[in-house]
Amino acid sequence: MNFEYVRASTAAGAVSMLAKQSDAVFIAGGTNLVDLMKRGVVSPMRLIDINTLPLKEITLSGNKVTIGALALNSAVSEHPLVIKHFPLLSYALKAGASQQLRNMATVGGNMMQRTRCSYFYDTVMPCNKREPGTGCGAMQGINRMHAIFGSSENCIAVHPSDMCVALAALDASVIIRGAKGDRKILFTDFHRLPGNTPEKDNNLQPGELITHVEIPVNAFQQHAYYLKIRDRASYAFALVSVAAALEMQGNKISKARLAMGGVAHKPWRLTEAEAFLKGKEATETNFKAAAALAMQGAKAYEHNSFKLQMAPNAIAEALKKATSKA
Amino acid sequence: MEKQFFFDADTPDPDRVDGRAKVTGSARYFAEYTLPDMTYGVLVTSPVTKGRIKALDTKAAEKAPGVIAVLSHLNKPSVPGYEAPPAEGRGPGMRIFYTDKIYFNGQPVALVVADSFERATYAATLVRAQYEKEEFRTDFDANLDKAVAPRAPGAAEYKRGNIDAYKNAEVQLESEYFIPTEMHNPMELHGILAHWESPEKVIMYAKTQGVKATQQTVTNLFKLQAQNVQVFSEFVGGAFGIALRTWPHEVATVMAAKMVGKPVKLVLTREQMFTMVGYRPQAKQKLGMGATKAGILTGITHEAIGQTATYDEFTEGIVNMTKFMYACPNVNTRYKVLPLDVCVPIWMRGPGEATGAFALESAMDEMAYRLGIDPVEFRIRNYAETDPQRNQPFSSKYVKEAYQMGADKIGWSKRNPVPGSMKNGDWQVGYGMSTGVFTAGRGGATVRAVISDDGMLLLQSAVSDIGPGTGTAMVKIASDLMGMPFEKIRFELGNSSLPPAPSQGGSSTLSTVGSAVNDACLALQEQLAILAGQKTFAGKTKQDIVFSNGRIGLKNEPASAIGYAELLRQNNTPAVEVTKDSRQGEAARKYSIYSFSIHFVEVNVHPATGVVKVTKIVSVGDAGTIVSAKTAASQMIGGAVGGIGMALTEEAIMDHRFGRYVNHNFADYHVPVHADVPHVESLFINKPDPIINPMGAKGMGEIALIGFSAAVANAVFHATGKRIRSLPITPDKILQTKAV
Amino acid sequence: MSDKNKSTAHNDSRRNFLRQSSALTALAIAPQAVLKAAEGKMDEKIAGYFEKMPLSIEVNGKMHQLSVEPRVTLLDLLREQLHLTGSKKGCDHGQCGACTVHVNGSRINSCLSLAVMNEGKKITTIEGLAQGDKLHPMQEAFIKHDGFQCGYCTPGQIMSAIACIKEGHANSEAEIREYMSGNICRCGAYPNIVDAIVEVKNAGGKL
Repeated sequence: MNFEYVRASTAAGAVSMLAKQSDAVFIAGGTNLVDLMKRGVVSPMRLIDINTLPLKEITLSGNKVTIGALALNSAVSEHPLVIKHFPLLSYALKAGASQQLRNMATVGGNMMQRTRCSYFYDTVMPCNKREPGTGCGAMQGINRMHAIFGSSENCIAVHPSDMCVALAALDASVIIRGAKGDRKILFTDFHRLPGNTPEKDNNLQPGELITHVEIPVNAFQQHAYYLKIRDRASYAFALVSVAAALEMQGNKISKARLAMGGVAHKPWRLTEAEAFLKGKEATETNFKAAAALAMQGAKAYEHNSFKLQMAPNAIAEALKKATSKA
Repeated sequence: MEKQFFFDADTPDPDRVDGRAKVTGSARYFAEYTLPDMTYGVLVTSPVTKGRIKALDTKAAEKAPGVIAVLSHLNKPSVPGYEAPPAEGRGPGMRIFYTDKIYFNGQPVALVVADSFERATYAATLVRAQYEKEEFRTDFDANLDKAVAPRAPGAAEYKRGNIDAYKNAEVQLESEYFIPTEMHNPMELHGILAHWESPEKVIMYAKTQGVKATQQTVTNLFKLQAQNVQVFSEFVGGAFGIALRTWPHEVATVMAAKMVGKPVKLVLTREQMFTMVGYRPQAKQKLGMGATKAGILTGITHEAIGQTATYDEFTEGIVNMTKFMYACPNVNTRYKVLPLDVCVPIWMRGPGEATGAFALESAMDEMAYRLGIDPVEFRIRNYAETDPQRNQPFSSKYVKEAYQMGADKIGWSKRNPVPGSMKNGDWQVGYGMSTGVFTAGRGGATVRAVISDDGMLLLQSAVSDIGPGTGTAMVKIASDLMGMPFEKIRFELGNSSLPPAPSQGGSSTLSTVGSAVNDACLALQEQLAILAGQKTFAGKTKQDIVFSNGRIGLKNEPASAIGYAELLRQNNTPAVEVTKDSRQGEAARKYSIYSFSIHFVEVNVHPATGVVKVTKIVSVGDAGTIVSAKTAASQMIGGAVGGIGMALTEEAIMDHRFGRYVNHNFADYHVPVHADVPHVESLFINKPDPIINPMGAKGMGEIALIGFSAAVANAVFHATGKRIRSLPITPDKILQTKAV
Repeated sequence: MSDKNKSTAHNDSRRNFLRQSSALTALAIAPQAVLKAAEGKMDEKIAGYFEKMPLSIEVNGKMHQLSVEPRVTLLDLLREQLHLTGSKKGCDHGQCGACTVHVNGSRINSCLSLAVMNEGKKITTIEGLAQGDKLHPMQEAFIKHDGFQCGYCTPGQIMSAIACIKEGHANSEAEIREYMSGNICRCGAYPNIVDAIVEVKNAGGKL
């Protein structure tokens, strides 16, 4: 590692600092960036420390909760507003990383976290995301952890976040500060599929800073479940995860929100399954039918074919758990 | 504290003697010593798997701030021990920086030395190498046909009775088992701090299981006087086998320290821990087993192929247990090694026996189900009362009692034996068991004991303690013998200048060094008796003198007894010192001396997600006398935790297109975490072995792990009807395996 | 460590950047002599100087005014410069928890925190727990329950265990196991560690 370190004291200052130096990046919690820098995966010349920016607040106004991009993962997961309105987000956050990391990692940083693909992480291996044009190491390599949805011939990596899966399910939006002011996009539009530019994880433009995430208040509190399947009981990335949030009337599902992690380059929203479930009884048959719909278009590689079985099972299981909650 | 009585069964169980140092952070591990002018070494490694270094450009690194030197094959100082041709039959070995040859991916090609860790780390990224690549072989499965008989004598074949007799049995079983490469991954990173105090004298703070072994290696390589090679290793942050040899990067650091004339500290990265300090080699095994319908074994054939390196042969006892565990008239084993372009393995806790026990104890379970006999009952029907391999008695064996203890504790008889029959909500419930066994060894060791007129007893021996609590056990032995409280006894270890002791490994430290402590304490008593006979108890001989409650007195005259310190003072003797060498007598050879373990586990399996949770564990150790109950229990618990990893989570995965591991870190190589581990019941037979040593204590480091993975796999079978013969049992395997 | 890195070019451009930049924090602390030298030819020594930043940090109740390179992690600062070696390096990537310390009362992985990001903060390490000879109750409990073997993960486990209770995450054995899962113990002392935490939690004393 070899870099310049500066501290930004205002969001505008941070954005202008970033604009001035093309090889500069923001650092917040640092849990992913420092890791990547130590491994030589990224080598920014300048770090702009944004930790002192006033972006930690979590507030309710009108029908939405606004979470500052610098709010810590642990703080968000235990905030009364989050627990009251979005237990799903709390569950997902608590399923990610360790408490030490959650005490460092921020909401914005979590959104910016890079894939855990081994080929991305090892600078000796080919990786189109790290070094465009070198090829995808995982495609013909060890791809047990990799995508079954939305991959391209250039990249089959998955996004590693749990928080983002919940935010995708909860119809959140992202507020972004740029040199020309703020813009707001849907959370589900924030992350990208790899396509021909796998080096781009998301739609953040150069010089932009995530300042807030907004979540509309909903009625999913009673029927929210985050299922994470992993190789050990905790402190591991998901093989497959499912965020399920439902509104129920008796045993009937009136509204469903579903998203998966560990299956795509971005949190994978299951809109067809959601539409199918609307108005349906909460039965195992319906869960399986919804899961089957969600799995349409799934494609496996040499080592991750198990996900074609695990993912629909996980969707049905998460629905079962969510609907049986009350 | 009240004084302890000699051999009093009620003596309290000691807390660890180094507990305070470990919980306050004052325990110092090798990397935590600071020497004046200390520099930092960082390795540059090969991204190529086989070939040679065509060009190495170190100029940019050398010019980087703080860099003192860049060591490589181009400028290495002479190492006399490397000049000689390699020993016959061992392969060329890895003589670091001595040639341009690359044997494996991740092999060190340069060592950058700078004045700070950060500067050395950065400069290492500036070293550029060009390689001439050669075709390589790292794929174990694809090269099984290239396995060869090991050069190690006697390792290849064993036969008792008829070969492949299982093929004629009433009930037959043929199964293949696979265990992947596992990494020891102790929490402390490996490395060394080396400093040449003069051209003839080098000191090292090392992470080693044997300070004498490290001393010997460096003495030989650099052709020095042994007393001028000093190795310190007071605290070792876990090892599990990796520190049983002196690795090339340690030699490189000693070379670098010589080159720069300053202390050099090298700490590997976690990634480098996957290619520089060995591993449990992957192995493929075939078990053929035959039995009568009544459940009597008639034949076992056990074949194994284990991975090794092209440049060095590694062998281990994968098939050993099969030779003597059960009373079977016909047993034959075949063992081969498959040399690949990989770094060399090293014994990992339980070593080959843990690999073999997975196969044998899984097969025993499979056969029991096939026969419709309870797996415990099947083992008892084939119980070996004497050692069928060597045709001689076991020194002690309480395995039947152990089966009973374990079965009672976990409620074995209450289970429904039908696979897939037990439920806990959405979870399938299963019970499994297995047996483990390992040689209870005893080597030779020397202990110096010094008792002073301040009432302190100092014991010294050049052993290491990688975690089991060696110092604690030694103090307990001395405390019992001398009747002294723990806090008056100090055991010094981890220093090559102390009286010699073997490396800590193979579950033999307590047996070996404990015996020497025992003998030294007895010799000390004899000296104290002689001293007492001169003045305090003038004219009396040792027959008249008794030791009790930390005091020395005349037989039948309790009032005469005085403390050791007082005795020394009365006789104007500041201290009495003895040094005793102790080793096993010839008589022990007439016995087969083994430690045994029985593992019972309960698992919950979630059929939809494939998740397996170990929910109950009962491990029973037949390890002779338990010297220190608390640390012994911790050993058994630790073995179970390691066993959970072996069974469910651990696998080093390599991409054979590159010869590189893809999960060389703690996020992707999954060792068990807190949430994976339930409460562990560890029980002990706690009956002395009459043969092995004065304490009657057999070792237990290995048996804690050996067999455990089979117990889990057997429990998974009982829960689901799915027989998984390839470790680890990850959720995908549960989903993709069909129930039988 | 790649054989095909582009670090030399990177280094050169970095030096240029250093030369051109006029708003460096480092400049603010540079003495006149160094500034003067910097105006002329910038050699590696001066570059090295510029690479350091001032840092005020409180460790175990003691204030330190330091000058550190931004790339130094909090863990390496503690271990290599302040010689507080109780905090351990087990992975250096936030994957094992051996480096766990408290920053302003919150447990974090010090290996992933740049030292300079802790300006003005209060750090507590394992060395800061005992009051003279009197051990912290968690340290006592670890000894009593034999919550360790080799001892290497122990400082991190203890720092994490104290935080686990203070955070309110020690209400059941299952919750303790989950919230302690960021601390790996390869010797496998987990059950004993849980016993120690349960005991300290139930004692209800101030931690």
